[in-house]
Amino acid sequence: MSIDKQLRDELLQHAKSLKTPPEIESRVYLSYQNDFLQKKGRLSMKKRLVSGIIAVAILIPTAALATPYLADQIFGSSQTIIERGGTQEDYQEIEKLFQEAKSKLTEEEYAEFSAVMKQLMDLKIKITDQNGVMHEDQLTAKERKQFEEILPQKAAPYFEKIRGGK
Amino acid sequence: MNDKELLPWLEKMLTGDEAAFRVVYQATHTDVHRTIAFLVYNKQDIEDIANETYTRMWRSFHTYDQNRPFRSWLHGITVRQVQDWKRKAWRRIRLFERNRLMHDEQFDWTDSEVIKSETQLELLGVVRTLSYKLRVVVILRYFHDYALDEISELLQIPLGTVKSRHHLALKALRKHCELTGGDSYVHRQTTTR
Repeated sequence: MSIDKQLRDELLQHAKSLKTPPEIESRVYLSYQNDFLQKKGRLSMKKRLVSGIIAVAILIPTAALATPYLADQIFGSSQTIIERGGTQEDYQEIEKLFQEAKSKLTEEEYAEFSAVMKQLMDLKIKITDQNGVMHEDQLTAKERKQFEEILPQKAAPYFEKIRGGK
Repeated sequence: MNDKELLPWLEKMLTGDEAAFRVVYQATHTDVHRTIAFLVYNKQDIEDIANETYTRMWRSFHTYDQNRPFRSWLHGITVRQVQDWKRKAWRRIRLFERNRLMHDEQFDWTDSEVIKSETQLELLGVVRTLSYKLRVVVILRYFHDYALDEISELLQIPLGTVKSRHHLALKALRKHCELTGGDSYVHRQTTTR
């Protein structure tokens, strides 16, 4: 038997044993319904998200509420992170870190810490694409040294203070 | 169902007619599932990719040229979804998850060993050990019966690349046949006579 024929036979024989799992069917139907039957619902999804954010804002203790989002001072808005493959949750985590930093560092230290973080994040945002993958090769040699050595070294003692104070 | 019969259902599908979509699904799912299952072995991944393939099918339907076979347009989408999925998976997942996945793949591999020994599909076992790039050419050539230039168009890679991958794949398969040639000969004799 030629190898061509044997190959065809075996692939066909194996294919016959492959049955589409019913999970696929129900999932594909669900996707279809989501895409077609709830198209009008898309706007309300956005509305739901907005009301969700408002609800969260109300739940945040008043002390935190008094200060605007600290992370916004670094990134502009959560959109910057989301556009690069992050999630709202990621952004909340970063915000938590800054809140902690502010409460544990002196005012002077916090100013320095956020300045360093801003430089670091600006570089990071510059090289991160929409899937969250970093392309270090886009940096100049000087920027790269900043990104990989100088800035992390500057930030390290502050991180120790923040984490150590836990 | 041929293209001419399928087309009205496809058009109805785009208007949000779920019954029409069910007809399309019933007419295509075996082919889509088999294609994916030849290229990816993890059950959950197969399910994800099948779902992505169908989503792509109705979202990109406007790019389908109705003078050409629907089947090959859908195969193009399917293999691209498999490729996209592979690329994304390796980018996104963390190291420990990667390890787990590799472990899973090994686990599935033992599973296919079982299939192999049960049904005596010796070449299939070798096909499964081929790299993805070679394997996809073998599946399109010998399972879907595409000519090499059609494969080049489907995968959007140069014809020369398809030819060399096809050649490499066959070489690996032949080598296997030579190595186990004696055994399989004896074996075939005992089963056929």
